[in-house]
Amino acid sequence: MTASSAWQHPFGRVDDVAATFDAHDYVADRPLCLTTKLAFDLGKPILLEGEAGVGKTEVAKVLASALDTPLIRLQCYEGLDASAALYEWNYARQILAIRLAEADEARRSEIDSAIFGPEFLFERPLLKAIRHPGPRPAVLLIDEIDRADEEFEAFLLEILSDYQITVPELGTFSAVHKPCVILTSNRTRELNDALKRRCLYLWIDYPAPDKERDIITKRVPGIDRSLAEAVTRVMQGLRAVDFYKRPGVAEALDWARALLGLEIGRIVPETVLETAGVVLKYRDDISRLGKLDLDALLQGKAIEL
Amino acid sequence: MTSPAEPLVAQTLAICHAARAAGLPVTQARAIDVFRALAMIDWHDAEDYRLALRTNLVASREDEILFDRVFAIHFGHSEFEHDGGAILARSELLRGNLEAGGRSNEGHRDMLTEADTFGAQEVQRRANLAARWDADAPPLEQIIRELARRLATRPSRRNAPARHGARVDLRRSMRRSVRHGLDLVELARSARKTRKTRIVMLCDVSGSMDAFNPFLLQLMFGLQQALKSSRTLVFSTQVSEITQYLRRRSVVETLGEIGDKVRHWSGGTDVGAALRELNRTVLREGSARATVLIIISDGYDNGTPERIAAELEAAKRRIRTLVWINPMFGATTFVVRAAGMKAALPYVDHFLPAFNARALHDLVKGLAAVG
Repeated sequence: MTASSAWQHPFGRVDDVAATFDAHDYVADRPLCLTTKLAFDLGKPILLEGEAGVGKTEVAKVLASALDTPLIRLQCYEGLDASAALYEWNYARQILAIRLAEADEARRSEIDSAIFGPEFLFERPLLKAIRHPGPRPAVLLIDEIDRADEEFEAFLLEILSDYQITVPELGTFSAVHKPCVILTSNRTRELNDALKRRCLYLWIDYPAPDKERDIITKRVPGIDRSLAEAVTRVMQGLRAVDFYKRPGVAEALDWARALLGLEIGRIVPETVLETAGVVLKYRDDISRLGKLDLDALLQGKAIEL
Repeated sequence: MTSPAEPLVAQTLAICHAARAAGLPVTQARAIDVFRALAMIDWHDAEDYRLALRTNLVASREDEILFDRVFAIHFGHSEFEHDGGAILARSELLRGNLEAGGRSNEGHRDMLTEADTFGAQEVQRRANLAARWDADAPPLEQIIRELARRLATRPSRRNAPARHGARVDLRRSMRRSVRHGLDLVELARSARKTRKTRIVMLCDVSGSMDAFNPFLLQLMFGLQQALKSSRTLVFSTQVSEITQYLRRRSVVETLGEIGDKVRHWSGGTDVGAALRELNRTVLREGSARATVLIIISDGYDNGTPERIAAELEAAKRRIRTLVWINPMFGATTFVVRAAGMKAALPYVDHFLPAFNARALHDLVKGLAAVG
């Protein structure tokens, strides 16, 4: 087993994390920066919870690009199992190898050990992250863990505490460099306590108005300040409405880009209605939008049905 | 890197203790991580100090809020005050006796008198469950197991490996043969998979349902134990998920924990809001065709019937079957009077009586068609 001591992470102080996020156009607040730093210091996974579209996945992308290391992503879904998450043997290639060996008298004796070699292994995300050769650790994103079955969570526990995977035919792979693990959850269900205990926890909320404006200005090049502010105002107003799916930051960015693309400099009620599909994704929500006082919304006043 | 000074250690330990006392999952391992974390940050910065402790000690958003409160109290900001809600909720929860409950109305009374009119065996099964909470009634458990079996077994189109399956799985047979140099030594077989049904149970625990609490609890507990993947939520004016507590084996422990966590027990009723919350969270994910929603409520509601109808319409798009169990239904003189119930009826696939063991038996028979 090799320890990950060779590599020293570049985040000596919390401000270094902040600077890194900033350099990658991600507006991160203090809790996120501090948690990220501690995750590297303590070698623990981060569990990010929050509504869809508040930028949880983006954290992993930024870290991967900041560390110049691959982002290995495991998208969770119902029924996700070990063969899709860990590894699978490449049966077609094994059969091919056997056929070839049969034709070649000399190689026949060694075929048994050869077909269970690493080159016949399909690496799935978890094994890939463990086997990543470095020089820097990979960023492993386990996305939307709440979609996976609970059995899968239990299975993850083992990997997240020891950072090693056993393939019966080959032996145990231990992480050369402990990957930086980020788990995200939309919180459609509560996760297992044991899994949570192994992680640093952070809830990411919808951003405050100033932060959201900064995000829009950073992420949508060419947008002017007044439009960014108007978009922020509408978004903040809409989030106070009891929609099925409140628009997240992702929708705010989409909308800002849409407005920029349509060359709309000033938002009027008709604009909101015409482009509603960018922001709201349920028919009920859109018809609800039509009943709102859009003038008040645009002025940033509190709106009531 | 600075090593933490003595007063800091004492203070941090005190906060850890306070957090544990407040109900946060502060284990020894987590406390150790807190100290490891402190060595890594500038703990002179009060904000960083708080955040470093928080990220290590909490496991949910509610925990975060609770921790911030504990932290503030520790440093003498006393604007936060503990409410006595837990004790209240617990006593309400355990007050599961119909006579002592004192909230009976005509529907309940019907139910009590009706039990006398059946034969010996019938009487045993029609026993008013409200009065027999802790009786370890085996018939009910059997019925629940049967219910779970009927709800959760549906043959899938897909096949899964099975030792004595009806089909020969050629692909897997091929793979197996690799070991033997491509000689087919044994055939792999497969059978149809059982498709998982996800059951979401939404239980009304408002004041008007108090009389049925023992029955409800037994049903929730039994169903959750039998079908591990199902989810149970209770609502009155708010919604709380109690799935994780129902997984515990001890009923007493579970009741205590639910009493601690669900503070709106015996409150008013807002079916519409509860459904909305459900639509937005639990029902949003996962396959609509695999989901059966069971609502247990008497339909007496403080909200508007239109809202219930609108939310049910939305919910129907996210589920396969809607089962409404009404404890008031089944008494001979019962008519649907609750406006909320009337609004809901057009969306309900199975409207079932279940206020006692016999009624539950009927319910299970009715559910044969749900699969």
